[in-house]
Amino acid sequence: MLKETIKLNMNEMPYLPPEKVIAAAEKGLLELNRYTNPEDLELLRELLAEYSGVNKENIILGPGSDLLLREIVQIFSRNRKIVMLSPSFLPTVRSAKQFANKLVSIRLSPPDFKLNQEVLINELNEASLLIIDNPNNPTGKVFLDRETVGSILKDENVLFVIDEAYYEFSGVTFADMIKDCPNLAITRSMDKAFSLAGARIGYIIAGNSFLKELSSFYIYLPQSSLYAAREAMKNPGYMRNNIEKIVEEKERVWKKLHKLKVNVYRTSTNFLLIKTEIPDIAGMLKDIGVLISDLSNQISPGFIRVSIGKPEENDIFIKEYMNFFDLFNHNSEK
Amino acid sequence: MKKIIGLIVNPVAGMGGSVGLKGTDGEMFKKSLGLGAKTVTPARTKDFLTHIKNKQEIIIYTAPGKMGEEHVKTFDIQLEVIGTINEETTAEDSKKIALDMLNSGIDLLIFVGGDGTARDIYDAVDSKIPVIAVPSGVKVFSSVFAVSARAAAEILDAFIKGTDVTEEEVLDIDESAFRKGKLASRLYGSLLVPNVRNFLQAGKEASSTSSSSIENKKDVAQYIVEGMDHEILYLLGPGTTVKAVTDELKLNKTLLGIDAVFDGEVVGADLNEKGILELFKKYKKKKIVVTPLGGNGFIFGRGNKQFTPEVIKKIGKENIIVIGTKDKVNSLGCLRVDTGNFEVDELFLGYIKVIIGYKEEMLMEVKC
Repeated sequence: MLKETIKLNMNEMPYLPPEKVIAAAEKGLLELNRYTNPEDLELLRELLAEYSGVNKENIILGPGSDLLLREIVQIFSRNRKIVMLSPSFLPTVRSAKQFANKLVSIRLSPPDFKLNQEVLINELNEASLLIIDNPNNPTGKVFLDRETVGSILKDENVLFVIDEAYYEFSGVTFADMIKDCPNLAITRSMDKAFSLAGARIGYIIAGNSFLKELSSFYIYLPQSSLYAAREAMKNPGYMRNNIEKIVEEKERVWKKLHKLKVNVYRTSTNFLLIKTEIPDIAGMLKDIGVLISDLSNQISPGFIRVSIGKPEENDIFIKEYMNFFDLFNHNSEK
Repeated sequence: MKKIIGLIVNPVAGMGGSVGLKGTDGEMFKKSLGLGAKTVTPARTKDFLTHIKNKQEIIIYTAPGKMGEEHVKTFDIQLEVIGTINEETTAEDSKKIALDMLNSGIDLLIFVGGDGTARDIYDAVDSKIPVIAVPSGVKVFSSVFAVSARAAAEILDAFIKGTDVTEEEVLDIDESAFRKGKLASRLYGSLLVPNVRNFLQAGKEASSTSSSSIENKKDVAQYIVEGMDHEILYLLGPGTTVKAVTDELKLNKTLLGIDAVFDGEVVGADLNEKGILELFKKYKKKKIVVTPLGGNGFIFGRGNKQFTPEVIKKIGKENIIVIGTKDKVNSLGCLRVDTGNFEVDELFLGYIKVIIGYKEEMLMEVKC
């Protein structure tokens, strides 16, 4: 058993935000008896709008993008069927199951997880709420390009939500398209790239078709979260440095696993997808203090998702994984 | 240098399928004849032989007459006949010929049959040589089998070019229990097969009995029953997921057979092809409800051969409702169809909706 648990199961940034951001959060603690000042909320909206290249009016704030997605599902699925990919970000799938009049998922099958775009477009033959996480969680794949998105958005009966929770890792965004496409909304998070998972700041970049019903969704964010987010947006350099570090580290881990003949997929996120033959590897790693995600119920048995942590954490994961791999092979040969 | 390939065709394999006998082991063969069953292995064998690309690179050692010779001789393939067989063939013929072929120095043995034939081949050759299993039985649940006759031809071509081999399972299905509606299987042994993963079927997996799976089946059943039309005949395929539909309707179900329901009543139980076609004369609108076979995803061609190509053609793809639990569907890479008629199989290529919950559907790819 390791002295400290290694968390590689939630796709968090392993590095703390800089002192300035922590100090801003601490300042918020001194105002715990007060609701957030609307002007401070507006300032964060302005900063996020500038960062995303859109108008402030198109930014909706919320306590985490998962809750914003839940809100979108609840509001916009009333007279529409929901169309998603399977697998997709699990909390959104759960919300869809809870609120949808009808939920249709398009199965992305291993080993290549290809999306048949013709099948997707054919399915949007009635009023639909289409939700796609791009890059996809848990496969880490980018499925959308501008041509596809543009083609889907031509149909006004389709409301299209793209979850860009991993935008900073993939560099792929469609945020600029909301100006011309009112039926498009993008959800994003400051949890991952900005090292603010504990602050829970999410936002929607909403096209006009979404704005009317979402404008009543006005949230007083926690003081500490708001101040931390604002400070982070004023100093995004640390985020870019961390992204660079994680992307480089992901490449190192991928190469090492690949060299060890582990079936590891390329991704556009801060996690790796692995297909393993070792039964209950997630459970066994947990027992020794390494947390990863078991995707048996989302993809199929044998798939696991591993977040990129600090190099020393990743090395422990690789070492322990290979120990179990050797043990499994040894037992299989008996 | 040409590869020497053994070929054994079990002439009676699969005959019980369309007549609803769930097998042709032992005396069931005679019963199937009495019910008007037709042989199915000739068409399967022909389909397999037709699609071998490298015919000039093999010599086939085959059993006499209907166990191989008469199928191969119509093709431009170098042929040698091995051994003798009885007029009315039995498992002993398959075993004896397999052993003769093994002793003749074949590089690989191909057999056409079902799980029973696979056991006979295992008894004879164990893991001394690799085999290719062409699916043609009523029960084809072992993972040793190719997904179709054409896939078996692809495996042979890969073997000719050079491929490694892997161990796959041979299952022992209790046929008398199977006829009584119980699928009891145990591992009988392993055979070596060329390792061409995409063309090998996964073995049948037992249905989940977890509480979440049972609830999931109830959700699916509730959704199906709510959408049932009183003017439509529903043909309900085998399996516990489909049984949940009749449970919801408070009706009895033949677990491993096909029943027909119309307007809340059972109008046909444990039907064979003939019985189904008879019902079609009376009922104009009809739908099939099937669930994929756990582990390998077959919606037609494994365990429900009473849904023959003729039945499926008359129903039409648009009237086929596929249902499955999330656990089962998630464990499948794709769905498969192997009716024995490639034209019918091709109707399903592409995507099909699977109902996986209450008002919840999954679009899944179907492959042949």
